[in-house]
Amino acid sequence: MLQRVSWICWTLLVVGTGAAIVHGEPPVDFIREVRPILSNKCFTCHGPDASKRKAGLRLDDAESGNRELESGATAVVPGDVDASALVERITSSDPDSVMPPPTFNKPVTAAEVALLKRWIKENGHFAGHWSYTRPVRATPPEPPAEWKAWPRNEIDRFALASMLSHNLHPSPEADRAALARRVFLDITGLPPTIEEVEAFVSSKDPQAYEKLVDELLHRPAYGEHWARLWLDLARYADSAGYADDPPRTIWAYRDWVIRAFNANMPFDEFTIEQIAGDLLPNPTENQLIATAFHRNTLTNNEGGTQDEEFRNVALVDRVNTTMAVWMGTTMACAQCHNHKYDPISQKEYFQFFAVLNNTEDADLQNESPVLPIYTVEQRQQVVKTQVAAAAWQSLLALRPNLDEQINAVVAAEPVLNFVANPSTTVPIYRERAEPRETRIQHRGNYLDKGEVVQAGLPAAFRVAVGQGPINRLALARWLVNKDNPLTARVLVNRYWDTLFGRGIVSTSEEFGSQGELPTHPELLDWLAVDFMESGWDMRALVRKIVTSATYRQSSQVVGDAAKIDPDNRWLARGPRVRLSAEMIRDQALAVSGLLSGKMYGPPVHPPQPSLGLSAAFGSSTDWETSKGEDRYRRAIYTTWRRSNPYPSMATFDAPNRETCTLRRNATNTPLQSLVTLNDPVFIEAAQALARLGLQHAGSTDERIAYMLKRCLLRDARPEERRSLVQLYNDSHAQFAAQPAPAKEMATIPLGDLPAAMNVADAASMTVVANVLLNLDETFLKR
Amino acid sequence: MNLSQLANVTRRHFLSRTGMGIGALALASLEGKTARAGITVDATRPLAERQPQFAPRATRVIYIHLTGSPPNLDLYDYKPELVKRNGQNCPDQFLAGKIFAFTSGVPKLLGTPRKFAQHGKSGTWLSDAMPNFHAPDIVDEMCFIHSMYTEQFNHAPAELLIYTGSPRPGRPSMGSWVTYGLGTENQNLPGFVVLISSGVQPNGGANSYGSGFLPSVFQGVQCRSKGDPVLFVSDPPGMDRTLRRRSLDTLRQMNELQEHELGHPETLTRIAQYELAFRMQTSVPEVMDIGKESKETLATYGAEPGASSFANNCLLARRLVEQGVRFVQLFDWGWDYHGTHVNEGLTDGLTKKMAATDKPISALIRDLRQRGLLDETLIVCGGEFGRTPFREGRTAASAVLGRDHYPDCFTMWLAGGGVKPGFNYGQTDDLGFGVIENKVHVHDLQATIMHLVGFNHERLTYRFQGRDYRLTDIHGNVVREILA
Repeated sequence: MLQRVSWICWTLLVVGTGAAIVHGEPPVDFIREVRPILSNKCFTCHGPDASKRKAGLRLDDAESGNRELESGATAVVPGDVDASALVERITSSDPDSVMPPPTFNKPVTAAEVALLKRWIKENGHFAGHWSYTRPVRATPPEPPAEWKAWPRNEIDRFALASMLSHNLHPSPEADRAALARRVFLDITGLPPTIEEVEAFVSSKDPQAYEKLVDELLHRPAYGEHWARLWLDLARYADSAGYADDPPRTIWAYRDWVIRAFNANMPFDEFTIEQIAGDLLPNPTENQLIATAFHRNTLTNNEGGTQDEEFRNVALVDRVNTTMAVWMGTTMACAQCHNHKYDPISQKEYFQFFAVLNNTEDADLQNESPVLPIYTVEQRQQVVKTQVAAAAWQSLLALRPNLDEQINAVVAAEPVLNFVANPSTTVPIYRERAEPRETRIQHRGNYLDKGEVVQAGLPAAFRVAVGQGPINRLALARWLVNKDNPLTARVLVNRYWDTLFGRGIVSTSEEFGSQGELPTHPELLDWLAVDFMESGWDMRALVRKIVTSATYRQSSQVVGDAAKIDPDNRWLARGPRVRLSAEMIRDQALAVSGLLSGKMYGPPVHPPQPSLGLSAAFGSSTDWETSKGEDRYRRAIYTTWRRSNPYPSMATFDAPNRETCTLRRNATNTPLQSLVTLNDPVFIEAAQALARLGLQHAGSTDERIAYMLKRCLLRDARPEERRSLVQLYNDSHAQFAAQPAPAKEMATIPLGDLPAAMNVADAASMTVVANVLLNLDETFLKR
Repeated sequence: MNLSQLANVTRRHFLSRTGMGIGALALASLEGKTARAGITVDATRPLAERQPQFAPRATRVIYIHLTGSPPNLDLYDYKPELVKRNGQNCPDQFLAGKIFAFTSGVPKLLGTPRKFAQHGKSGTWLSDAMPNFHAPDIVDEMCFIHSMYTEQFNHAPAELLIYTGSPRPGRPSMGSWVTYGLGTENQNLPGFVVLISSGVQPNGGANSYGSGFLPSVFQGVQCRSKGDPVLFVSDPPGMDRTLRRRSLDTLRQMNELQEHELGHPETLTRIAQYELAFRMQTSVPEVMDIGKESKETLATYGAEPGASSFANNCLLARRLVEQGVRFVQLFDWGWDYHGTHVNEGLTDGLTKKMAATDKPISALIRDLRQRGLLDETLIVCGGEFGRTPFREGRTAASAVLGRDHYPDCFTMWLAGGGVKPGFNYGQTDDLGFGVIENKVHVHDLQATIMHLVGFNHERLTYRFQGRDYRLTDIHGNVVREILA
């Protein structure tokens, strides 16, 4: 029963039944304090895995730990420490009796023993894992009178209550310019222009911010930015992986994701189309392209590989990725044995595997099945010229409407092939007519097979599987079923993590027993329920968060805040997050005026150093730099070769996308400094920014202030101006005497200066711009 | 934040979400006190030197990977019985139920075409392909494991298994684990350096030296003896060192102003990274410039300044460990002896390849010994799997002799820091099809290497997706018999 109640109710229960509250100390919180200890140290033998369970004792559910065991002992007798066998065993000095056994290497500490004793004395009841019960929308707490005016929406009421309970209080709102830069970066991944910031700052409209947010959410750049997060999860790359890592043409999927975000496709549809678009009635071309989500798994083209082995490897990846992306649940453990911490059996793992095991793709070099994609013109040509055979004619006759005819062309691929080569292709999912048999695989070995299993979905989440066959479509619908306790929580938490730099569940990749507990469980659940009830509206979710007072706070650290709450868990200040690899590149190109706005299409080759290497059994890792504006496209369009991720982005923690990346690290290393100081891409941006500065009317001082403003969207402080002007003057003194280096500094790699521009001026201003592009503040969303 | 709260913060979270920068706050060592076998990572200096769990036998590692996998039966594992039965059909018992990469049907047994003899006081059997290893002061420094085995018989998965403990991409490599555990001695150089020769990347691509789910600060940094020694380490054309220093001074002032204004302690961390980068701009080119070595030294290695070669990389490995680099990983391409090309043949091809290999390795061993570094530097050398005792299918009728991939047994050798010199461990059967004594799995080798650098491989872990991961997955036993 306890497992079915919400977090809040649970806490109330604990308090309500707490018989013996130690004076001055709050009662022990089972979920927050006790269960993690049990999970870490006891579940391996006393958890969900029945096959490894010792002494018949189970501690991971709500009831078993209080039951008398066959041996006559009871692990935990509520209120009675002395009668509780658990206490006796964890405190035993006999190595044969003490729990956990010494060989387990995870002794219970003295502090943990004390805590467990206190819990038994006060309460002694168990509960299942919090995230396996459905989220319930709680009423946001009323703010105290003093802060009555602060909250702007429900988020703030939850955030306020927990900050106040941690002796913190809200920070003032960020200044308008900082807020504008923050929200531009968060929604579009790009900084605003000076004009955009000024328009916002000077607006008298009380709804100016909300209007700005709405406008940004409808810019094409929104889709380009938020697609990046999804492409990390989808392990999207432009190569097939493993040793030779050959090119793979699958960018139509990347474009599909961008378009889906920009069309604000509801997340449930977004899910269903990617997992099972091909199983929908009369799937459209786009619904087929969406299924490339799971065709992003690696293909092993190395000579002498068994395709069936690597088909199985890809399947395992798809099972693990599906559960990790949608439900924050690590299935991988159950591939080889029943899960030790979460209630998923090995059989259930392979039942899930069986759901995905019926597609045609089989680790083939040609990536079949692939969908050829024709341009609208190509299709119209077919329709209009009616080149086809009689069967084709009759097909058209059934579809008098031109759009329908065009869609029918998808199904009439051979006909189209007469007319033109496809503009591109994309690997897709296609279900086999004859289902494959699925057997449990022992020790993860695809050749070591056990019992036959039928398709099925894990029972522990208590989500009904709809009528009809348990196939991918049923799986997709199960994932976005409103009874699913995890999908919405995981999604809103991932958004929160992206916007605040830390999830409400800080382990945003792990919502199981071994994950961290949410800092704001009621807020998480409120957002999750609200998200589902909004019709899984991703744009509305971003809007809800960024229009909150919590988000709008200044990120300035005042007083002891860094000591009291270094991670900003309690949200008493605004987010301060290092920009992603892609944003760092895009921003440098944007503020220097180089960035191309061209969207979609084949991946491009911005400049990268030549290394003179080849992939093992594969082609050179070097590439020829793209010509024209393709050199300056947004980072999302950069060719992503798995064995050789683009060096500057890899240095800033972009993953190589061989596997699903649930959360990127954000490190701070000297190699990053070398990238932004010396990478020709960043030097080129500095040169372009310097030229913009020199073309700006005014004194050197004013020009430098203008350049700084382009980068930071604020006015330069007097001491900053002095410092930068001094650098300019010192550089100028050097370059005036050294024309050859000056010319190099000013023109390699950007090229010749505009006619009237002085070389020493441009070189010196480039040095200044190089500093501006390396400021800590430049790398930050603050 | 008190200690118990700290314990609640996953290390991953701590490193990532603070941008590695909570002032001087260091994550307390939780070793032995809590469930997690943790290490101390100072978030502001993640590569700062750290103490191992127990006294190490080696403080640095040079791992030489012969990409493609050398033919152990023609180098280290002498099988006179196989020579006698050369050309006979391979007995069924060795084929039943097995899959080979490029061989089907009944292949012919292939006795080595090389001449073997015993060398050194250890009486180790070595083939004539590597005369430099015959010298007693070399062979008697080596500790051979003839009983290695793996489950993988395709290059990329087998190499990933050796370096990351898993045949699938996504896990941290050995060098990353070691630098995560130990940090590095010299902050002005990367802690984990990768040197690639013969123009081809390892089979696992960047994964073979990647940091997987560990923070990227622990990933291998590729260094070159030609071009920019580390990517982007050179100032842009037109900027000299004085101007770079001058511009970094301004950058520092600006960042300090910002720190003052906003109070973000992470800003101080970034300032420190720029200072470190500036020092690396000097120290990396210096250490990578083998032109500073004497002619004699260059000659003993066969190294040439300005070139890119395995010999240069061996010399660089010595220069790097001498400067306190923790883990140096060499990858040399061209060891896939199928016989599909004369360079991949067991006679002339192997002679030629080995000539460019045994000399610099021997020079490296002597050089380290002479400088008193061999005792604390562990050298490891080998491929990702073994090769078949029979001719591989595609080249069975060719004039060029070759062998197929084979996971069931192969030889690797170690030398230096903490291993028995002049020692042979493990045995394969008379035909070289399987281990008959003292099996050593890839995970056992990893456990042993971790032990030598001072870690219990089961207790150097990192929590990711709710699980405490380690290099050896859930396996691995230290091969105590080879420890000095």
